[in-house]
Amino acid sequence: MIAYLMRRIWQMIPTLLGVVLLVFFLFNWVGGDPAYVLAGKMASPEDIANIRHQLGIDRPLWEQLWIFIRQIVSGDFGDSWSTHEPVSQIFRTRLGPSMTLLIPLMILETAVAVLIALLVSAFRGSLLDRSLMVASTMVMSISLLVYIIVGQYVFASVLGWFPVKGWSQQLSQNLTTYAVLPVLLGLLVSVAPSLRLYRTFILDEVGQDYVRTARAKGVSEMRILWVHVLRNAGIPIVTNLLMGLPALLTGAFLLERFFAIPGIGREIILAVERSDFPIIKAATVYVAMATLVANLLGDMLYRVLDPRVNLD
Amino acid sequence: MGCVASLAYAATPEKVLHLELSAAETGFDPVATSDLNTAAIEQQLFEALLTYDYLARPVRLIPRLAATMPVVTDQGKTWVFTLKKGAYFCPDPVFKGQLREATAQDVVYTIMRFMDPKNRSPYKFLVDGKIIGLDELGDEARKSGRFNYDASIAGLEVLDRYTLKIRLKTTDYNFSHAMAQPMYGVVAREVIEAYAGDTASHPVGTGPYRLGRWIRSSLIELEKNPNFRHELWDFGATHSGSDPALGSDPKIANSEDARVIAQMKGKTIPQIDRIDIQVIEESQSAWLSFGKGELDMIGLAGQFSPMALTGDRLKPALVQRGIRLDRLIDPSIAYYFINQQDPVLGGMSRERIALRRAIFMAQNDEEMIRVIYKGQAFRNAYPIPDGVEGSDPNYRSVLNYNPREANHLLDQMGYAKGPDGYRRLPDGKPLSVRYTTSLSSQDRELDEMMKKSLDRLSIHFESEKLKFPEIIKAERQCRVQMRLSGWIADYPDGDNFMQLWYGPHIHENNGSCYQDPVWDRLYEKTLTMPASLQRDKIYRQLARLLELNGVTKVSTSHIRNVLSQPWLLGYKAHPILPSVWSYLDIDDTQRPKP
Repeated sequence: MIAYLMRRIWQMIPTLLGVVLLVFFLFNWVGGDPAYVLAGKMASPEDIANIRHQLGIDRPLWEQLWIFIRQIVSGDFGDSWSTHEPVSQIFRTRLGPSMTLLIPLMILETAVAVLIALLVSAFRGSLLDRSLMVASTMVMSISLLVYIIVGQYVFASVLGWFPVKGWSQQLSQNLTTYAVLPVLLGLLVSVAPSLRLYRTFILDEVGQDYVRTARAKGVSEMRILWVHVLRNAGIPIVTNLLMGLPALLTGAFLLERFFAIPGIGREIILAVERSDFPIIKAATVYVAMATLVANLLGDMLYRVLDPRVNLD
Repeated sequence: MGCVASLAYAATPEKVLHLELSAAETGFDPVATSDLNTAAIEQQLFEALLTYDYLARPVRLIPRLAATMPVVTDQGKTWVFTLKKGAYFCPDPVFKGQLREATAQDVVYTIMRFMDPKNRSPYKFLVDGKIIGLDELGDEARKSGRFNYDASIAGLEVLDRYTLKIRLKTTDYNFSHAMAQPMYGVVAREVIEAYAGDTASHPVGTGPYRLGRWIRSSLIELEKNPNFRHELWDFGATHSGSDPALGSDPKIANSEDARVIAQMKGKTIPQIDRIDIQVIEESQSAWLSFGKGELDMIGLAGQFSPMALTGDRLKPALVQRGIRLDRLIDPSIAYYFINQQDPVLGGMSRERIALRRAIFMAQNDEEMIRVIYKGQAFRNAYPIPDGVEGSDPNYRSVLNYNPREANHLLDQMGYAKGPDGYRRLPDGKPLSVRYTTSLSSQDRELDEMMKKSLDRLSIHFESEKLKFPEIIKAERQCRVQMRLSGWIADYPDGDNFMQLWYGPHIHENNGSCYQDPVWDRLYEKTLTMPASLQRDKIYRQLARLLELNGVTKVSTSHIRNVLSQPWLLGYKAHPILPSVWSYLDIDDTQRPKP
């Protein structure tokens, strides 16, 4: 196991290096020149050159790349070029609101999708199954933007069940007041594809020999589904969940923007618009690292869920 | 924490103003500010020497941190400012519990900061190349890496604790406008040095408010500056002329002023205890929040104007709720320009000029106002918009929408149609117009409008989509062929607009890359003139030359609509001041109870 872990961690280095190179050259190729915006409305070529010099983007590419690598190693990506706020502070203060939104959303989405998937797999081919699948297709065909615009108008403005927007410094108030509508609207869109996917995983298991054997031995349908089927279907479900974890770091841009939630998603999109490379660099590296770690975690969990899996 | 105060709620109910910002603030060091949202907040935290009268239209400069208007001598080259006595910075640990008065030396330090290369100030241009000795200090700092703030220069002379003499290199009657910008709000040197590297988080000014709780990109709270001097609300109505946004009736404007004066006259500034500003980037969220009474005032976004307005009037349902509408024409222009150095469209030959003029004449501004701006803009053909010194409401453009004449012009100049039905250059080479726009949804609509316009002339349309920073870069490198650009007044004088076509400003903000010795000489003449009929006459010549040479077509000026709740008192939209919150009051008895 230790050898496997070491091998996997060693393999992460070239992958991460590839990501770093890709981000670096993509930014320098299509990322835009922030100096022209930072310089303001009436700047001379000398002013632009001064800003480029201060940002270090007039240095040779290899030197800039070396600085980037040093930043990754030290974990210090410097300050935002637009606001001068330290990048570490941006992530520290904006990740909380994003997580407050996305973790409940992820938990709810998984719970609801697994529950309904188990339910419809028990009634495969029935009217309930087909209706739910048609409804899922319809629900996931509509853009999140539509749900937000309509949902905010109907539930917050007309019915007044939720605040139109807002955020507080208290987690409990956010969870019970401000995050409720965004989470429910996010759930509407995200639950359908998960449901369809998990249903497939579960149906694959329902047709297996061990299920037939369990039935033949008189095991109840509930136990078959909840203990035997769910455990075996758990591996792809866990994979899907873990693959979604790095997305927590990029926030939920639309939900954050419409509900005025100071999350990281807004910040990253703003950074892209402003060509604020320190934030873009940090976000990309963090997401790449999170993806690699999530992959590793997934593989380790397979072993926990199914002892037959041999990692070595 | 600098001037960031701890939250302390008084026992008596405090008056709280709830506002929104449509984009996140960028930090509160005035020298580094370039966006209007941040400037709006800084207007309340810091004080420049001068400001603009709240009610007077056309806008008029008045003293703010200065005790009186400056004494200007030597044909606009020498300016003497005298500061108010008893203007104190808000409390900050740097002052160790002592009151700290703003002095003439602070003004010198504040101005010097704009030339410090480390600050890379976007508003450096207002003093750059103007004050005797200051540029040299900037040059030295660029070489040595350190700005010498202790240096004394002839251009910035402190006569006594409260008096400052500024000597300019050349005549500049607009210098007073520079000293009215919120970015030139006076700072204290010891504060800037104490918080070096993080000055954006420690705004310490002499303004009526100081920074309270601040959650970056989300919430900014301003609370009364306890050290703010005793000052009374004492503005008078001085409206003159017509305002198309108000239906050309000065009487309406004057009655509006009378309402504001009746609500505010004689009150201490500021009346509101706390200002709660939320960053709400989506206009739907702001609109719905305003509808629920959670916001006291909003700038009405274009797409919501059909829901709030019928023509230029508020919908009856909103009127019934007591909601007020303030309309004014923004001191801004939207203008098409064509790159004069472009190998296909540029140049001063008769054929090229005719081609450019034909392209401009195919633009249907009225349609654009109706379709894209939802009626919230005016056709304005003059480079200097209404309300700005030097504007000319009677100017008649020669580039009005007239596709028939435009086609005729092209036929005459030999732009014949090829077998594909599209026009070619007189030498038979293909002709197309590359139109540069950003990736925004509104710019997609602009692309469609331009395609339609060029189809009227049977000219191929090419779309160039770039991110905003790339557009600016391409523009400054004279690589943009054609674009609809915009300019909003930094200060309300025609010079701020006319400089957009000045030859030496190529690679700066002369996007059309236009260089014409005749035009430049005329423009240079205006620089030495105060606002006057003679200067206006030259401005008209300049505007006409721009049209005749097919350099630019000024298209529209936008209307700003601001909605306010019935409990908000004393509000009148101001075309130049980025915020007027310290001049307002709230009648909480009218506010619905939660």
